[in-house]
Order: sequence, then C-alpha cells, then structure tokens
Amino acid sequence: MVLSTSAVAIFRHTFAADILSRVETPLREPTFLILTALAGEPMHGYGLIAEVARLSDGRISLRPGTLYGALDRLVDAGLVSVDHEEIVDGRLRRYYRLTEPGGDLLVAETERMRRNVEAATTRLRAIKAAPRLSGGLA
Amino acid sequence: MSRPESRPDRPAVTDLERRYARWTALFYPADYRRERGSELVDTYLSLAEPGRRRPSPADIADLAAGGLRRHLRTAPGVTAGFRLAGLLALTTAAAFASAWAVLEVMAPMKFWSRYTGPFMSLGMAAWAVWLLAAVVHLVAPGRWYRRAAVIAVLVTAAVVPAGMLTGLFRPPLIVLVPQLVLGIVALGADAGRRWWVRLAPLAAAASTVPVTVVTEARLDFYGDYYLPAVEALPAVGVTLLIGATLLALGFAARHDLRGAWALLFLLTPIGMLTLNPLGAMLDSGPGRPQVPVWSSMAAAAMLVAVVGPVLLTLALAAQGRRSTGGRPLPTHCPTCGAPSNSA
Repeated sequence: MVLSTSAVAIFRHTFAADILSRVETPLREPTFLILTALAGEPMHGYGLIAEVARLSDGRISLRPGTLYGALDRLVDAGLVSVDHEEIVDGRLRRYYRLTEPGGDLLVAETERMRRNVEAATTRLRAIKAAPRLSGGLA
Repeated sequence: MSRPESRPDRPAVTDLERRYARWTALFYPADYRRERGSELVDTYLSLAEPGRRRPSPADIADLAAGGLRRHLRTAPGVTAGFRLAGLLALTTAAAFASAWAVLEVMAPMKFWSRYTGPFMSLGMAAWAVWLLAAVVHLVAPGRWYRRAAVIAVLVTAAVVPAGMLTGLFRPPLIVLVPQLVLGIVALGADAGRRWWVRLAPLAAAASTVPVTVVTEARLDFYGDYYLPAVEALPAVGVTLLIGATLLALGFAARHDLRGAWALLFLLTPIGMLTLNPLGAMLDSGPGRPQVPVWSSMAAAAMLVAVVGPVLLTLALAAQGRRSTGGRPLPTHCPTCGAPSNSA
C-alpha cells in the first residue's frame, strides 16, 4: 500500500506534470481505450480500431484519420511508441506499444475511475439498505 | 505516393488503393504523407468492405479532417498561434459583450417608451453567454471552456432566426457577425495554467463597463446599436490589427512564428469588425453615402469571409510543403515500400 502510494507520488512529481501538460485529463474515452488496447500487446492501426470497438461493445468506432491524430498526440507525449514495422502487401504496417509513462498514466486513470465507481457503489448500496430513501429517489 | 504495381512480389495496386492514396496526397502535408501515407492507406483498405471501389464520403471527410489537424500540428507555431488568436478574440468578444450588455440595460431605462422589457433586444442572451464563457475560461479552462464557447457561438448565431420568429428587436448584423466570427476564433483560446492570462477576457469585460457608461453619458446616450457600432467596431478592429501585428513582430524577433499565425487567424474577425468602412469603400460614384448600402456591406463581408480563410489556407499549404515536422523521417523504398530507416 505504502509502496503503491509512493509510486503514484513519484509518478506525479516526475512524469505527470510534463505529460499532463500535453494530454488533457481526465482522458477522453477513445484515448483511454486506445491505451487500454495497447496495454495487452503491440497493435497496428486496423487492430487498434477493432480492439477499441470490441472493448467498447461497438459504441466507439474510430476512423483512421481520428486514430492516427490520437496516436500522433500520444507518441509526442511519450505515452505510446512504435514497436516494430512490417510490410504487408507492399504497404507499411506499423505496430504501436504502450510506454512506461503511458502505462503509469493508464494506471492513474484506472485508479481514479475505480474510486468513482466505489463511491457510487457505496452510495447505491446505502440507498438499497434504506428503502425510504430509495422511494424518494424513484 | 509511389505506384509499385510492376513488382512481382507486390500485389497489383487496386483502384481503391490508388484513390485512397490520391485523397491522402490531397489532404495531408508532404512530409507526413511520406512517413505515414502507406500506413494510413493500409488501414483504410483493411476497413473497406469487399467489392468497394471508391472511398466512402465518410472516409473522405475523415481524411480531410485528419489532414487539416496534421497541417495545424506540422507548421511550427500554428497551434500556439491559434491559442493566442483565440485568447485575443475571446478578450475582444468579452469586452464587446460587456459594452453591449450595458447598452441593453441602459436603453430601456432612458428610452422607456420605446422598449417593453428590461433589456433592449434579444442580443442580451448572447452577451450574457459570452460573459459566462469569459468566467468559465478563468475557472475551468480546457474542455468546459470550449463547451461554453460553443454554446455562446450557437446562441449568437441563433439571435437572427429568433428575432425573425418572435418579431422582437435584435442587434444589427454589423454587430452580430463580427461577434460570431470572433467567437469562432475564440474557440481556440487556451491559456493553460497561468491564471493571470486566463483572467484577461474577464478583466477586459469588467473594465469596459465604466468606460461604456461614462462614454454613453457624455455623448448624450445612444438609443440603439447602430451609431456606437459604426464608431466602436472599426476602432477596435484597427486596434486589434495593430496589437496583433506588434505581437507578431515581437515573437518573430525571437524566431517564434506564433504571432504571425495569430495575425493570420485574426484577419477574418478584424475584417468583419471593419465592414462599415470597407463597405463604404465599395460604394461607387460621387456623393458616397455615410452609411454604405446593404449590397456593398454584403459584398465586403463576402470578400472578408473569402480572403481571410484563403490566406490562412495558402500559408498552411506552403508551410506543409516546407516543413519536415521535426521528426526523423524514415525513407521507404519507392518500389516495395520497405523502410530503410526506422522511426
């Protein structure tokens, strides 16, 4: 616990100020999902679009122009980098991976959202336990 | 983009691939196209349904939007220039909103028989939202400010149709059009974490109030928008032009182009602020009227609406061809596309 708190503090004092000045937080959902998709394994553009659609149950359908605009920002911010390249059907295919600061930012964002979920869950449980309040909300 | 169809180890280039490559060449800067063109086309082709021969309109729109974003990012100083122009435009728009709001409140007090409500016209809604946007710019910059600014632009644009539908008095187009164009540029305002810079629009709005009250009292008070607009708008337009030019020269002395880009972004709102003298210049013949005819004003507005964006587009296109984007550019084999220098 102490270790994780210290790690978060070190991250905040070293990378965060620089990164957050270039990437708006809280992260937008597509950006969060791109980072989440890359947390699994390096992916190329088409793979990322398909994975983001799968992670969002089809709600978010990125287009290539939008995806590469987001990737440019994330690469410039040092959150994502090129892993390797290959040639498929004579065309260049580039694979991207999450960098260490990118992973740290994803952890911090996930932690922030987890706290929000916990707070909401606790409140909702309290409402269920008190039927009078529950009726008042209905 | 190369056409390596003669290579035996590479499948023939399809019509669809060639068309995606052409659209990419049209919209994206040359250096970015060399770096990412092949990859971008590959992704579009992977997403295309079997049998498709032409890019869909949605793909073309996506390429256009992505290319524009890339042009804005590639040219040095463009993004910073857009933010600076946005801040100056918001400061000007907030000052106008404050001055017009004072007029809206004072006119019914002075000319009570002419107006039925507490405000002079429907314009009060737009001025209130712009003042709110200036407050949001101070306390919640970034996403919340952009939302407030978009709402302010929409409310300003809605004043004319609302006036037509309700039959209520509204500010003249000579006031609404410059505010709308200033508002569009103000969408780019992003002062970051420096609170004293974020305060500028609100400070301009606050300092305009006593100046407006005193000026209107000394001039025996205007009863509507037109006369103060004819006097104040060109004066502010020229002041903005001089200020932006001095900023451009100051930044340029430090080899920073943001001021020059800010000036280019501001040309259209500055032109709209000076529509009255521009329209008067277009009026022909002897005995030129003091108030330009409607057709001359419309022609001046069309001219400004075309010249400003065209100059900006030409500058972006020229910069896109010159720039190397600051990144190492991997060179690819022109026939097989194989990278000879990893990114």
